[in-house]
Amino acid sequence: MQALNDQVVIVGIGEYHVGRTAMSSIGLGSCIGLVIHDPERDIGGLAHVMLPDSQGRTDRPAKYADTAVGLLVGEIGRQGSKPGALVAKIVGGASMFQSFSGNLNIGDRNIEAVKLQLKRSNIRIAAEETGGVQGRTIVYYPSDKGKISVKTADGTVRFI
Amino acid sequence: MLNSQQSDALRELGNIGAAHAATTLSTMLMTNIEMEVPEIYVIDIGKIHEHVSDEPAALVVFQITGEVSGGGYVLLHIPKNSVIRLTNAMLGMTDLERELTEMDQSALLEIGNIMVSAFLDAAATLLSIVMLPSPPSLVIDMPIAAFQSILAAQEYAQIDQVVIFRTELHSDQYKIASNLFLLPNKPMLDEIIGMLENLMK
Repeated sequence: MQALNDQVVIVGIGEYHVGRTAMSSIGLGSCIGLVIHDPERDIGGLAHVMLPDSQGRTDRPAKYADTAVGLLVGEIGRQGSKPGALVAKIVGGASMFQSFSGNLNIGDRNIEAVKLQLKRSNIRIAAEETGGVQGRTIVYYPSDKGKISVKTADGTVRFI
Repeated sequence: MLNSQQSDALRELGNIGAAHAATTLSTMLMTNIEMEVPEIYVIDIGKIHEHVSDEPAALVVFQITGEVSGGGYVLLHIPKNSVIRLTNAMLGMTDLERELTEMDQSALLEIGNIMVSAFLDAAATLLSIVMLPSPPSLVIDMPIAAFQSILAAQEYAQIDQVVIFRTELHSDQYKIASNLFLLPNKPMLDEIIGMLENLMK
């Protein structure tokens, strides 16, 4: 993680950040930008999830869908948020390449795995922008009502 | 993941491949193509955004097939502002403000095919094996999103570092920049390094 002009924390693949400052994941393809936000306290976290299943690995919990949700909920809880107050927003899970072997719909599998974990943790999905074929760069603003800007390569920026 | 001798050997392999790719581009455009010294990065997956950006670009992507195990990709990366200039130079057009058409896409696939075939062919000849590119896939999008998708599709669950080889090719006459990336997974990297070390014995 690194600070970009003191304002935005860049969250790289398999990394996460929790706090009140803006945070960003650059160029989500099949990866998922998982945001868990506490609307009552304007605080939250972003995990840059790469794969659906940790297969028991514990060294980079933000990298995998099955461990990232619990990680963020725990870290935000440590900042004083109650689990019942939290909502989720998810972005990404695109399929940019259709024609290669080995590409077992990893984007779709990531979306499915993140949603399953959110359901198990009883966290409602407040907004999502998932699937499709385009890459996305996101910036999450915890202190601005948990808004997320979603930018695509054609220059379009949407807020969710 | 790589010691300096292995890194040098890999750089030399890429250098030979990229020089052949540059020659084919030079022939297609009938102009000089300059080539920068190849770079090899061994980077943590969490830091890829420091080396590959989300600035829109055309990417022609090939899987490496043939007599080499594991998986790997070769990518021809052309920044968006170079794409029109490149296809214009190739198709004999001058309008820089036009939209990209199917003809541009065909031209990009063709340029990619010729350059990457030359790249792999030269590298394979040095290693005395056969390496062939798969049919290409063209994406005009954020390069880092494409890289990340490729890494995830290879199930990089087991490793947290990647090796990226990059050479820049550019034409001053047409103001075209491009990069050739080689993205081997660990089994392919190990095998190629083994072959290179045998060559140097």
